[in-house]
Amino acid sequence: MLEAVDLAKHYGDLVALRGLSLTVEPGEVFCLLGANGAGKTTTIQLFLGFIAPTSGSARIGGQDVATHSLETKSKLAYIPENVMLYPNLTGFENLEFFATLAGRGDLSEADLRETLKRAGLATEAADRRVGSYSKGMRQKVGIALARAKDARVLLLDEPTSGLDPKASNEFSELLEQVREDGVAVLMATHDIFRSKEVGDRVGIMKQGELVATMGTAELSHTDLERVYLEHMHE
Amino acid sequence: MSDRTRSRRRIHQALIKKELREVIRDGRFWMIALIIAGLSLVALSFGLSRSHAVASERAAAQHEANEQWRGQGNKNPHVAAHYGTHVFKPVGALPFIDPGVEPFVGVSVKLEAHRRNDSAAGRAEDATGLSRFGGLSVALVLQLLIPLLTIGLGFSAWTAERERGTLRQLASLGLPPRLLAAGKALGIAAALGVLLVPALAVGGAIIAVWPDAANGHEHAVTSSAARSLAMLVAYGAYFLVFVSLVLAVSAWARSSRAALVVLLGFWVAAALVTPRAASDAAAWLAPMPSQAKTATDIRRSIAEGLPGVPREKRIDEITEKLLAEHGFQGAELFMPPALLASTELQAEAAFENEVIDHHYDRLSEAIERQERLSQTAAVVSPVVAIRSLSMALAGTDFTHHRLFADSAEQHRRALVAMLNEELGKKGGDDAWSYEAGSELWERAPKFEPTKPGLAWVLDNQRISVAALLIWLIASVLAAWWGARRLRVV
Repeated sequence: MLEAVDLAKHYGDLVALRGLSLTVEPGEVFCLLGANGAGKTTTIQLFLGFIAPTSGSARIGGQDVATHSLETKSKLAYIPENVMLYPNLTGFENLEFFATLAGRGDLSEADLRETLKRAGLATEAADRRVGSYSKGMRQKVGIALARAKDARVLLLDEPTSGLDPKASNEFSELLEQVREDGVAVLMATHDIFRSKEVGDRVGIMKQGELVATMGTAELSHTDLERVYLEHMHE
Repeated sequence: MSDRTRSRRRIHQALIKKELREVIRDGRFWMIALIIAGLSLVALSFGLSRSHAVASERAAAQHEANEQWRGQGNKNPHVAAHYGTHVFKPVGALPFIDPGVEPFVGVSVKLEAHRRNDSAAGRAEDATGLSRFGGLSVALVLQLLIPLLTIGLGFSAWTAERERGTLRQLASLGLPPRLLAAGKALGIAAALGVLLVPALAVGGAIIAVWPDAANGHEHAVTSSAARSLAMLVAYGAYFLVFVSLVLAVSAWARSSRAALVVLLGFWVAAALVTPRAASDAAAWLAPMPSQAKTATDIRRSIAEGLPGVPREKRIDEITEKLLAEHGFQGAELFMPPALLASTELQAEAAFENEVIDHHYDRLSEAIERQERLSQTAAVVSPVVAIRSLSMALAGTDFTHHRLFADSAEQHRRALVAMLNEELGKKGGDDAWSYEAGSELWERAPKFEPTKPGLAWVLDNQRISVAALLIWLIASVLAAWWGARRLRVV
């Protein structure tokens, strides 16, 4: 569903991403671990088509993002570290706006409210202006949008950083539901614990390179942490 | 309706609704909108009462002049031609929208034998206490303040999306950028509409309830619906230019602050500096003889004749021609004395008209050259284009004024010719003791000011129309191109 083929991004002499190749299948959660500047966000932005690759290609559903930018975007949903919404609009109005623009103007008000509720947003919060929302609440609107859009691919850029443990835990549960719907998930994160918890596979990135990939099933938390730290210290 | 068009229409609606919601929930918009609405109302009522006062004042003055003409008693027709009469300028088509040059040019012309008089200022023009509002007019609000409001509404249309981070969300949706740009343009237009539609309704209602004040007056140039419609289209296009420009700059700018600075700079240059600089430059590049100089030249040429053709020689030529027409060539001694006197008067008038035409043709050429030059400045400022176009459609520009002066001159010639002819027909043996009475004064031609149509206006304004179209196409393309190559990160 999600495929990087020898994907690279250079900024002059600086190599942000070096020959990345990976595949994420439908219903699979792939976690990219790494320090700041390791190339995680660059990878996600390449899949979004926000930046153009220097070489190689990013593919979604078999289509190259660079040449089919509108088609590939229609299949994905993107949740950044901070889901940014319009502060003067309510949560419901924001969802209605983004969902309509994503081509789901056919959804009724009831459908949209149900989606917000399923994403974990309290019913009475839906009609409050987003300016008063916490980060976690905005994140839930982002999830609701991904659901409403019926995205086949979810791109997450450090979605849980700065969330309190309860919100973070709720987020993991939502991710579990999404995975059951057969969505391919690529998640960039710092959080080793969360990666082991929600990920099917974990990739460790360092200085623009994917240095290790492993399945989470055969690893314990401590193993994962040890492997990660070994790579960081090399 | 296909699913595709339905979805597209939903997207447009969603974009408009979102932009409107954001604007309407912003307190600043209401404050500015209220100020502009207030100013518009003041300008509109000022314009209406002023044009009403002017129209009735001129109608009354014209009526009085006509009464005086009819009641002048018994006198010799040529003496009556010397005594003369006055004609008053009709008010423009939509003077309450755009007073144009009206406050600065004359309103009436004294018609008399042997000379073409300049138009003179009237009483109504400086008598009204409302004149302390001076330059405030609906046109001024539409030409200067609405663009300023557009800048306020839209300068951050794209930059704020980037600065708040919502642009990533938008860009990840898979929408064609031109659809987003069109939605933003429609959103700003809708916010302007919140202000303009009620203003239009109030204006329309006032015109409907009180037609005299606007254009139903018998003394109006023309109550052409076509002109009102053209005015609506012209201002619509003008606003669209600004909406597109604002979106284009917002898409290209690095920050909201930079966009605001660029746009305000453009506004100052386009709205305040260029119009003034354009007329100064035009006056410098294509200088125009002063009216006083023209008047002196005409006086001298009437006394001496045009260069190379002395006065007496030319008058003799014309007299010969007229005598031939009457069948008395070389036999004027056998002509009835009054007919001879009349023929000589006609010849003198024809000579004077030739001299006047000669000098006025040169003056007109100079004026038109200058006019074309200042219209060309519209290439650097859409404000110059709409200013010129708006005055012309309102019937209050200098070209309309010249048209009135020219038609008054044609009327003067017809009147003098008719009176001289009458002298020849009825004067008998002693032309100068013949006296005509009210029967003749009643029969004299009535002044019918030329009522130019929309085609005439647009032909005069072709440079402004073309410039506005160029601005429209260029700004829409810039907005579209800016949205296409928008930097997301």
